[in-house]
Amino acid sequence: MWAYVVRRLLVTIPTVLAVVTVCYVLLHLTPGGPFDAERKVSDAVLANLQAKYHLDLPPWQQYLYYLRDLLHGDLGASFRYADWSVNDLVARALPVSLAIGGSAMVIAVITGVAMGIVAALRQNSWVDVILMLVGNVGSVLPSFVLGPVLVLVFAITLPWLPSGGWDDFAPRYMVLPIALLTLINISTIGRIMRGSLIEVMGSNFIRTARAKGLPMRVVVLRHALRPALLPVVSVIGPLAISSITSAIVTESWFSIPGLGRLIVNGASNRDYTLVLGLVVLVTVMAVLLNLLVDLAYAWLDPKIRY
Amino acid sequence: MSAVAPPVVDAAPAGRSPWRDARRRFLRHRAAVASAVVLALITLACVFGPMLLPNAFDSVDWSLMSAPPTRAGWHLFGTDELGRDLLVRTLIGGRVSLLVGVLATLVSMTIGVVWGAVAGFAGGRVDSVMMRIVDMAYAVPYLLVAILVVTVFGRDILLVVGAIAALSWLNMARVVRGQTLAIKSREFIEAARAIGVPTWRIIFQHVVPNLMGVVVIYTSILVPGVILTESVLSFLGLGVQEPMTSWGVLIHDGAAVMGAAPWMILFPAGALSITLYCANFIGDALRDALDPKDL
Amino acid sequence: MNTRYKRPLVRALVTLASAAAAGAAVHAAVIPPGTVLAARQEMVRNTGAEPESLDPAYIESVNAGEIDRDLFEGLTSTDHHSNVVPGVAESWKQVDPTTWVFKLRKNAAWSNGQPVTADDFVYAWRRFLDPKTAAKIATTYAVYLANGIEVVNGKKPVADLGVRAIDKQTLEVRTAGPVPFLPGVVAVAQYAPQPKAVIDKFGKDWTKPGNMVSNGAYVLKDWQVNSKVVIEKNPAYWDAANVQLTRVTFLCVDDGNADLKLYQSGEEDFMQQIAPGSYTALKAQYPGEMHSGPLLGLRFYALNTTDPLLKDVRVRKALSMVIDRDILANKVTADGQAPLYGLAVKGLASIRQTRYDWADWPMDKRVAEARKLLAEAGVKPGTRLKFTYNNNDYHKKMAIFAASEWKTKLGLETDIDSLEFKVLIRKRHDGDFQIARHGWVATFNDATLFLALVQCGSEVNDQRSCNRKADELIAQGNASTDPARREALLTEAARIAMDDYPLIPLLQYSVPRLVKPWVGGYDDMNGQDRYRSKDFYILKH
Repeated sequence: MWAYVVRRLLVTIPTVLAVVTVCYVLLHLTPGGPFDAERKVSDAVLANLQAKYHLDLPPWQQYLYYLRDLLHGDLGASFRYADWSVNDLVARALPVSLAIGGSAMVIAVITGVAMGIVAALRQNSWVDVILMLVGNVGSVLPSFVLGPVLVLVFAITLPWLPSGGWDDFAPRYMVLPIALLTLINISTIGRIMRGSLIEVMGSNFIRTARAKGLPMRVVVLRHALRPALLPVVSVIGPLAISSITSAIVTESWFSIPGLGRLIVNGASNRDYTLVLGLVVLVTVMAVLLNLLVDLAYAWLDPKIRY
Repeated sequence: MSAVAPPVVDAAPAGRSPWRDARRRFLRHRAAVASAVVLALITLACVFGPMLLPNAFDSVDWSLMSAPPTRAGWHLFGTDELGRDLLVRTLIGGRVSLLVGVLATLVSMTIGVVWGAVAGFAGGRVDSVMMRIVDMAYAVPYLLVAILVVTVFGRDILLVVGAIAALSWLNMARVVRGQTLAIKSREFIEAARAIGVPTWRIIFQHVVPNLMGVVVIYTSILVPGVILTESVLSFLGLGVQEPMTSWGVLIHDGAAVMGAAPWMILFPAGALSITLYCANFIGDALRDALDPKDL
Repeated sequence: MNTRYKRPLVRALVTLASAAAAGAAVHAAVIPPGTVLAARQEMVRNTGAEPESLDPAYIESVNAGEIDRDLFEGLTSTDHHSNVVPGVAESWKQVDPTTWVFKLRKNAAWSNGQPVTADDFVYAWRRFLDPKTAAKIATTYAVYLANGIEVVNGKKPVADLGVRAIDKQTLEVRTAGPVPFLPGVVAVAQYAPQPKAVIDKFGKDWTKPGNMVSNGAYVLKDWQVNSKVVIEKNPAYWDAANVQLTRVTFLCVDDGNADLKLYQSGEEDFMQQIAPGSYTALKAQYPGEMHSGPLLGLRFYALNTTDPLLKDVRVRKALSMVIDRDILANKVTADGQAPLYGLAVKGLASIRQTRYDWADWPMDKRVAEARKLLAEAGVKPGTRLKFTYNNNDYHKKMAIFAASEWKTKLGLETDIDSLEFKVLIRKRHDGDFQIARHGWVATFNDATLFLALVQCGSEVNDQRSCNRKADELIAQGNASTDPARREALLTEAARIAMDDYPLIPLLQYSVPRLVKPWVGGYDDMNGQDRYRSKDFYILKH
């Protein structure tokens, strides 16, 4: 098992390199450069700008410079946010996104799993229908509709919460964004949990357990839940990543200084270093999370071996 | 069904195909059947409705901007801020959303299932490489790719389908791989291997059918995501361009004026929600129907 | 009222009174007598985007400029009536057509107590225009100073720049040609003084809170990227007595709806801009709070005069004639913007507005004439036009309107393409467009900024149009020292250039926004839409 973990961690390095290379190529292929603006820039200034950011070198050389800096943990200087280094920007945005996205995931997993279990056990009853109707609101209505609705209800009509903004992790600014992300994630987790549990409940070993006279609670929690959680765990990884790094609509709407806004601004402004830096971060997070997910598979289904 | 049936004449019992079973199980779910009917009606309305209604979807009427729903002039859903009839635009938008939704979902599903099943079944290095490719594809910023694709290839509805599918297959592959890992260690797979069934056949004839439950569920989760991704792409310039529209675009435009002109979001969001709820119910029923363990 | 605020207020009133008595100009918040101020003089304002930098040499956007004009003060300043007022310089004189002398006030100081001297300006301007600094917008502003362009292009050393400190309190500025509006130019945030010692010490990090030293009415307290910039009153500022607001928070929300929600829930006092299409409803809902003054900006469509279809001036004229700008202003955009039929906008200095003769014809007559022109030019109905704009609901709405006008009145079909902003700019610059959406807003108040759009070979003339006669008149106007003659020449130049129909003028920009009723100092006729926080005060509420 440990050999597997170590192997997976080592694979992170070539994975990150591969992603960085692909994105690097994409960035340079995409039309529009970081210094395109409505007003003309003199050649001398442009030359110095490019020299400052190594852009006057052939692409492969720039790439090597970037890798060298990357190995030293230096993600470079941002073009769009000229006074800040990418390390600074990421270091400030990451905790924010983790707080919002991470909390939302935790709540969504707990609630979604619970909802899915109840709905599965009461399949096709009123409870099931209502739970699915309510739980699916997050997938049926886009986030750019849910967000305004949440604000309309809880910030304007009932002036309980601010409609957006951020103040150093003050809880009242975190409630609505977390609520929005949670709603969106609950629907996926809930539906998969429900479907998966229904399927598992129909298998032979569960029938055996019930025939043995075990109480339902034991049957479900001790026997059915583990295999049923497998597909749920599969999506937790990507959901967590996207909640933390791509919660763009949530962050824009609630004016949260998180990673999603950085990446959108970076891409629109062709801020090469910022985009690459964020890509590195997302890749590392994805690899780590997926490793955890794979380890969880092994725990959930003892027959899975690496 | 009864476990013991009195033997009738010595006619050979008619074979029961699993598809017939599936269909029967599906038809037992009233919600799903109703959903199927509703979906069919919506599709018909979107395809034929605009041909029958008097208003064109792109005719601007400056005297009737942002008008609430009214019987006059067949503006049953009201008009948008350029005076265009929302009923026709919702139906036309439905065409795009349904088409893109169905196509992109099918493509994603296919790629995802194949990729995930192969990766999960093969295990070892192949699995590792294939899943790392999924991780990498996940990390690449979508915005960049979308801009690049538009500029290089121009604009085309099939391109939209491709772009969305290219993003959506990733999670499907993950889910399928997870399930495959669980399934491949079961006895019947071992048995098939022992008999000498070729790998590809094991994967596609034995593993995949057992996956279908989760695949179907996840597909019905995919559908709303696909339709909404389409609206984001249209906003970026890839996807439908004015005056053509889609539900995603209509909802996005309507969300901006929700307070002042609620009908602009109510009807397209309503159409989308109904469609997606129907898809959900059908998805759940399909999962039940295709579950090979049910008696 | 809280005693903490009484003294500065009393001092302000006394200053006002004595200033009125002395007949001198007042430099900051003019508070009507009898106004009751709130105890807490703090304001939250949305600028619409995260600043790209707070270093005066590197800022380019309007929002960054707004923040920097509170942190730094140049020779002159622009107040909330769009008037050029003294800043660090208490007076100035144009000694000859290309030389100005600025006298700096003795009590101007940096926030660390050091006095602001003429050397600070020399250092700052040289640093700004030095190609090694690589300031993108230096090229645009360099044209006004003697040797500015040569320095920016690296052809001449920085020391040759037309700025010189005669002594600690006197600055001599030499311009490239006669620049009658120079006081307005040096008011921009990019021409602010910079603290050499601080920049040398901290390098790139000098703009971080705690490191930054500034000479304006405020100092930088906190800066959280993508969240807020917080500034607080600078006690060392020479006019601190007249500065009411003690703390201003700048937000960077770019979504119009999110902005509105923050305003409605009380999280901000001052919006950046309302979302398109919501003007009428919001104006009804918040009658005293909606402001929509005319801006020195032009909304127009650039026509690529080298495109085969648009080469013929008759085609361009026809396209321009049939657009009903009244419907566009009153129904489509419906937010208080004025229709335009010429290059100059209302309030622009040194030029009078011109108007096409057909602007007053009834629409039928215009359509008939346009059809005739098209027929003469050989363009048949059914011809396809290509229109590009950057993805934005507002522009989309206008584009759909234009397309429908061209279709219903001229029978021309339009392919509307939405592009990402940077891609659009590229395509416009490269001439890879037929009709493109464009907008132009003045950074300071002078006609030459708009004339640049139509001058031969101008870097901002995406239409690639050229009218030699107009260019000649512009050159003559700029060489003239008589304001009346200059105005006449520039007006005529604009008229002639526009008769070539290089672009389709549509509307004059306005910035409709909501401002809380307790924010005092807002002026609807502020054509440049630049505000200094020192001009605001909070009424008791």
